[in-house]
Amino acid sequence: MDHLDQLENDSVYIIREAYKEFKDIALLWSIGKDSTTLLYLVRKAFFGQVPFPVMHLDTSYKFKEIYEFRDRIAKEWHLNLVIAKNCQAIDKKIGPGEGNKLTCCGELKTEALKQAIREHKYRAILLGIRRDEHGIRAKERYFSPRNKQFIWDYKNQPAELWNQYKNTERAEEHIRVHPLLHWTELDIWSYIQRENIPIVDLYLAKNGKRYRSIGCEPCCSPVESDADTIDKIVEELKTTKTSERCGRAQDKERAYMMQKLRSLGYM
Amino acid sequence: MIVVLAVDALEYDLVEKFQCRNLMQKFYGKTDISEFSEPRTMVLWSSFMTGMNMEQEILALGDNGMWNARIEPKRTLFSKFVNPAIIDLPGYDYETLHHEKERNLLKKFFDAQHNTEKESVRESYNRFAFDHHKKIKNDFIKTLRGSHDLVLGYFSIADVIGHLNFGNAFLMRMIYRDLDEIAGGIDSPFLVVSDHGMKPIGFFGDHSSYGFWSSGEYDLGEPKITDFKKIILDLFHEQRGA
Amino acid sequence: MDDNALKLVIVGHIDHGKSTLIGRLLFDTGSLPEDKITEIQQICSSLGKEFEFGFILDNLEEERDQGITIDTTQIFFNSHKRMYVIIDAPGHVEFVKNMITGASQAETATVIIDAEEGVKEQTKRHTYILGMLGIQNILVLINKMDRVGYDQNRFNEVKKSFIDFLNDIKLNAVHFIPISANQGDNVVKKSENISWYHGPTFLEALDSLQAPQGSQDKPLRFTVQDVYNFSKRIIAGKVLSGVLHQNDEILILPSGERTRIRSLEEYLKNPTEAETGKCIGVTTTDKVFCDRGYIFTDPQNAPLVTHTFCANIFWMDKKSCKKDQPVIFRCSTQESRGTIINFHTVIDSSSLELIGENLNEIHNREVAHVTIQTDNPVIVEEYSKTAELGRFVLVTDDISAGGIITEVLP
Repeated sequence: MDHLDQLENDSVYIIREAYKEFKDIALLWSIGKDSTTLLYLVRKAFFGQVPFPVMHLDTSYKFKEIYEFRDRIAKEWHLNLVIAKNCQAIDKKIGPGEGNKLTCCGELKTEALKQAIREHKYRAILLGIRRDEHGIRAKERYFSPRNKQFIWDYKNQPAELWNQYKNTERAEEHIRVHPLLHWTELDIWSYIQRENIPIVDLYLAKNGKRYRSIGCEPCCSPVESDADTIDKIVEELKTTKTSERCGRAQDKERAYMMQKLRSLGYM
Repeated sequence: MIVVLAVDALEYDLVEKFQCRNLMQKFYGKTDISEFSEPRTMVLWSSFMTGMNMEQEILALGDNGMWNARIEPKRTLFSKFVNPAIIDLPGYDYETLHHEKERNLLKKFFDAQHNTEKESVRESYNRFAFDHHKKIKNDFIKTLRGSHDLVLGYFSIADVIGHLNFGNAFLMRMIYRDLDEIAGGIDSPFLVVSDHGMKPIGFFGDHSSYGFWSSGEYDLGEPKITDFKKIILDLFHEQRGA
Repeated sequence: MDDNALKLVIVGHIDHGKSTLIGRLLFDTGSLPEDKITEIQQICSSLGKEFEFGFILDNLEEERDQGITIDTTQIFFNSHKRMYVIIDAPGHVEFVKNMITGASQAETATVIIDAEEGVKEQTKRHTYILGMLGIQNILVLINKMDRVGYDQNRFNEVKKSFIDFLNDIKLNAVHFIPISANQGDNVVKKSENISWYHGPTFLEALDSLQAPQGSQDKPLRFTVQDVYNFSKRIIAGKVLSGVLHQNDEILILPSGERTRIRSLEEYLKNPTEAETGKCIGVTTTDKVFCDRGYIFTDPQNAPLVTHTFCANIFWMDKKSCKKDQPVIFRCSTQESRGTIINFHTVIDSSSLELIGENLNEIHNREVAHVTIQTDNPVIVEEYSKTAELGRFVLVTDDISAGGIITEVLP
């Protein structure tokens, strides 16, 4: 098995383990390249089937290309698509506008996920998180418990030894499963290239820019690039040595910070 | 000689996370600043040095006036010392012009519309802060060699850099390491005090609602920032008596 | 370049230069983004400090893992030959559990020892754990040679004391290499300061290691993970050793049924064989009963089905375990309730002192040679025969112990 075969193989094993160990499992699909790759791997694991629900957290601020892609793939792959929205928040018109970018994500995404888990009583969620991404994710395990409040006690993580993963959840906890933990950004794109996995075309360059990661339209910014095909993206990743910077999170809290600094007398 | 290392925005959680052993000394903990409506730098240090809650008095000066405030020495604990050396402390010996320029750059950062302009302002802001820090560090080390009965060095680097760069965990780690080295170079018994800590707002740093203290000799529990006037004077009398 | 990254763990006493070594390794192999070095250098000059290689690891740790360095992180670098993944195992004494999890996925290990300080307690404890986990290819780096004037006698002294220890725990080192991570001697670049040493540099030694293989030639073992009934009945599992072919005759344990492999199933492919490690679907010519935990094996060379076996276990739960206390035994996809019926010898994993023989209990961070009895029949083998059927975990609330089977009792 070559490098990608090995990654694929290990991920399939984890996916099959999760399906066996937990009833009431769902896949969290952000429609991005990582979770779409995960979805593809799930189809491989179950011989063309996706035998559990696929959940999309809809903040209603997403690019229209994302919605189109989602609906097309859901049809082609016969997905049991569950769309989770924090309707209350959306009705209250909570959005990233009025200096609320911090709470916007919290209300529209995290709350929506909490509500969906409660409503459907999911005991485990499959996510496309990778270890080499920015932030605290490097401390994640393949099977990671979250309690009801979504607090993740990273100091007390259960040990994962030799493909033996945590397989029981205490009441109130749900388990997060990360089959892509050991994949890098380059691995994902190389695999997409090899397998011809469909992706949202926002990732491809138009007018000298492309999105390196995608999310809600108001908070995403593209990077400069001429890579308008997947082959070119792979090439670009191989030669660039700059780390993946999330195009959307950088100045989300700017307005909030300004407000705080004013109240502290700085400005 | 009593030494006080006054570090603005020194965050308890980060001192632990980065294992800053010199800053932790033998006893360390959080300070109680809950009596104040907001963790404001000028209010907190004024209250520190007078032993009283100075919030109303300082806020009455308005945002601009407050940064230029000078507390009368006889109201502060420093007047009890014969030959104190106080470096850059807000409300006492503060380098007001420098810090005003700092705040202007901060405002410029938030006013900037485009990313490239923002980053260039951030760079200037950071450089300005680091240069000042190097100067204060040298001053402090030199002053420690003198024959003062009290030396207080005020270090604003963690606060200033933290506001715009708290999300740069490596940068913060290097700063904490540097502060830890400064603490490691102090030969006399010393106290570490901070006005408040810092918590993240995305990439930025906001003030947290507790400060930090440490001592090589006494477990101070959870002191109020207004308790330090008495704590320091007690320590001084003990040292003299001993 | 060899596509399979070799997984490597670096262990040793906390001050013996692990961070500097990793920084130097990344730097000298050009495995870092360029802006990263510039960034670090700029911060150093802002603070009026000298650049240190240890800062590189600090930076990577903070970048990836905005928490205390108590867990394992993965760092990638490459030589001309292949890619490497360092599973950095900081091994602070309190967090041995997390370190075990990191080390448990490594294929080779490197022990770093300060030439001035010599072998210390933490050095021994970490090395012992490596041995427990069956990592065989150990490289030993004797670091900070610049601080001892690159003295050959000192190198030999430290080397000998460590060899004595390795012999005690029956481990073997493939190379002993004198290095200075700080100065760059013999990490990636050959040292001009150590003329008396003619062996490989650290990177050369790594490149010379064969990734563990050989499992392909061992007798067939296939474990069942699940059975699906989507459009047809497919048995999903993993080849633990040997190679599975279409048409192979197999023996199914623990039932003892025999049949042939009718087809191998993989989405969008038609494979006729599956190598060791491959997750694959299978259909059989006869309708047989099987479920998760069943093993398909070579009928000529099958493992035993048993309830009792001896093993070395490393207990890593704060709660202790007593003789005859129920635990859950998990090996590959098998699971059974069981108990430890005898603690033959119990050893403190740091001092290696014998705590006692024929004891009734094991505590956190202790290692023991035990006999385990399972309620259900299990299919296991000595670790040296088949790694996947020779290592297991014991579970109470979470994974409390890792173990390696030394003897299977009929």
